[in-house]
Amino acid sequence: MTFMALPLPTATRALAAALAASSALALSAAGALAQDHDPDAVINIGSLYEPQNLDNTAGAGQGINEAFNGNVYEGLFVLTDDGDVEPRLAEDYTISEDGLVYTFTLKDGVTFHSGDPLTADDVKSSIERVVAENSASSRKRTLAVIEAIEVLDDRTLTVTLKSPSISLPYNLSYVWIVNDTAGDISASEDGTGPYVLREWRRGSALALVPFEGYWGDAPDNGGVMFQYFTDATAQNNALLTGAVDIITSVQSPDALSQFADNPDFTVSEGASTTKEIMAYNDRIAPFDDPMVRSALARAVDNEKLLNAIWGDYGTLIGSFVPPTDPWYVDLTDVNAYDPESARQMLAEAGYEDGFSFTLDTPDYDPHPIVAQFVQNELANVGVDVKINIITANEWYTKIYKAQDFEATLQEHVNHRDIVFYGNPDFYWGYDNPEVTRLIAESENVASIAEQTEMLTEANRIIAEDAASMWLYLYPQIVVSTSNVTGYPLNGLNSQFFVSDIKKAD
Amino acid sequence: MTAQEPEARRLPRARRRAPAHWLGLVLVGVIVAAGLVSFVWTPYALSDMAGGRLAPPSAAHWAGTDRLGRDVFTQLMIGARIALVVGCGAVAIGGAIGIAVGVLAAFATRFADDALAAVFDILIAFPTLLIAMLVVAAREEASLGTAILALGIGLSPIVGRVTRILTKRVLSKDYITAARVSGTGWPAIVLWHILPNIAPFLGVNLALQFGLAVMAEASLSYLGLGTPPPNASWGRMLQEAQGTVYTAPWGALLPGLALFSLVIGVNLLADALRDRFDPAGRDS
Repeated sequence: MTFMALPLPTATRALAAALAASSALALSAAGALAQDHDPDAVINIGSLYEPQNLDNTAGAGQGINEAFNGNVYEGLFVLTDDGDVEPRLAEDYTISEDGLVYTFTLKDGVTFHSGDPLTADDVKSSIERVVAENSASSRKRTLAVIEAIEVLDDRTLTVTLKSPSISLPYNLSYVWIVNDTAGDISASEDGTGPYVLREWRRGSALALVPFEGYWGDAPDNGGVMFQYFTDATAQNNALLTGAVDIITSVQSPDALSQFADNPDFTVSEGASTTKEIMAYNDRIAPFDDPMVRSALARAVDNEKLLNAIWGDYGTLIGSFVPPTDPWYVDLTDVNAYDPESARQMLAEAGYEDGFSFTLDTPDYDPHPIVAQFVQNELANVGVDVKINIITANEWYTKIYKAQDFEATLQEHVNHRDIVFYGNPDFYWGYDNPEVTRLIAESENVASIAEQTEMLTEANRIIAEDAASMWLYLYPQIVVSTSNVTGYPLNGLNSQFFVSDIKKAD
Repeated sequence: MTAQEPEARRLPRARRRAPAHWLGLVLVGVIVAAGLVSFVWTPYALSDMAGGRLAPPSAAHWAGTDRLGRDVFTQLMIGARIALVVGCGAVAIGGAIGIAVGVLAAFATRFADDALAAVFDILIAFPTLLIAMLVVAAREEASLGTAILALGIGLSPIVGRVTRILTKRVLSKDYITAARVSGTGWPAIVLWHILPNIAPFLGVNLALQFGLAVMAEASLSYLGLGTPPPNASWGRMLQEAQGTVYTAPWGALLPGLALFSLVIGVNLLADALRDRFDPAGRDS
């Protein structure tokens, strides 16, 4: 199983990227090799994200998606660990000519954990739960496009939209299908997934056991136990002492030094969707000039910065789009590091003597250290950066709400969030009519290929415009004991599918 | 119980504790020297990032490098400068406010005196750091000046209370009565009789406040409220090294050690001052 491990200090970033890209292959290969796994073994998973309750429309936090998405509940569609959207409880679906009516056919023979069969009424009530008035789902807004849901028969329903939405299957991937007789699900569950909830001990653990009547392939393990920690050090120690088998995300390269080069542990790097960026206020001079922004992008050596923060982990990005978004293209060559041309471009833009700006920097790691790096790099091309340390709260009121800033540092965590660049009212105020049009219209097209094409084009334009300074993509690091394989690496939208996890004897 | 003990007890306290006092002098001396030298010379420029990520201590980098490849020894020297500037500045401001108000209280009518004493007690009940954080939060941007002002204000009630008590003690002395009877105005009494007489005790107190100010500045910087980056405050160095204590322990150990040395050193010196001036300790 060591072929999945990175020999850390010597691993080149290229190797890491190659491994991340081929993780799916590596995992299935691992499955083929690990014949001698114990099908009854319980997998202990360490996590820092304990859910507040068990209902993802009641402000439960990201932890509930980690524990329940795809494990206890399933959607009509699933967002795979590689970022593809595939049908799950939907057998098939068709879209009307005008793109306004989706007709879904459900899989046959699916039953809820309570024994009730899955019907179209369950799907209707599940979608209505998410868009309901009192729903606290963070996804509510993206489903506001739904006009009406109509049940045709037990296995067929139609969803009518106010305007075409090619992302509907993707958006439905985080709508749990809940039995319509389940009632309040904040402390219990009734889903269709491969696991049922055995026990939830608030403040410490959540235990799942395989569901005997599952419609698909049975899990490769005898159950999983999510153990919750409030402190990363305690979580790491639990892995070191064998109290847990896997930890779902490692927050700093420093903690990895305990596991790297140790044959008892496997350190794997996936692709996260968390981007560290320097956002300019694109409304104000000199940041309203793409020439100036491009010059600044060329003045900063992102590779050196990434190495300083994450050692040999993480990925360089040339725009806001991470490799797991369908509209990713490698744009790192656009405005690549080149201080000489940065100076020329600044002179061309009328700033041969440079200029000065204030960088509002959140007070938590890694932003202050990133700010100092950017400050030193920009000083080399004659641009003077003043670092102003602010709290997360101030960031929200001063920058996000009041939009009163010159430039700021922030990490953006969402999957498929290029849409922010299509909103001129967003805090960074990027306003390119062509990008706004592409992003708005990409939702109304007839095929995913067209959507991908248009968003790829938008992606290219924001990169050429250097709309913001995209510094690097955080790594998603999962560490396990070396006898455990088959876990997802990328953790898109906080999901953590557990049914393929195997533990060797 | 041994034969030597009574003899040892007869030694003046100052001499018995001389080694500790010398240690204090050496610690403070080294740090003051490092801070002064940093004005004219440091091994590297603060913005020099060529050292490589988290290089361990070596001949080229005596204290290793940080994540950005900057020389830690350079940052320690500049941190010494900042600690001294903040310490002296905060003690100057806190001392000026505290002494002025403390003397005023001692001279004031009974009602005003009680009121000021109560204000001192209330302000002392708030930790210095908390008062300083409030002052910083009230300003637009964090800066070295803000930090000094904030800490000075935070320290002033402590100085004020001590000054008030010391002044009252002196005011009851016969020579003050004599001066008053002979028509000396109160500004002259303060200047010629009170300040010289309370100076030794006040000096000890101010030296202790210096240590407190240095610690508080490190705490403020640790919280991101002190000197803004890239100025290398020891507190900020500690904060930045926190995430790499396993892989590069020197980054957190050395600024911590520097902070510890300065505060201990100043306390030992204050001790020496007290032994020098405290009549009770002189001849016992």
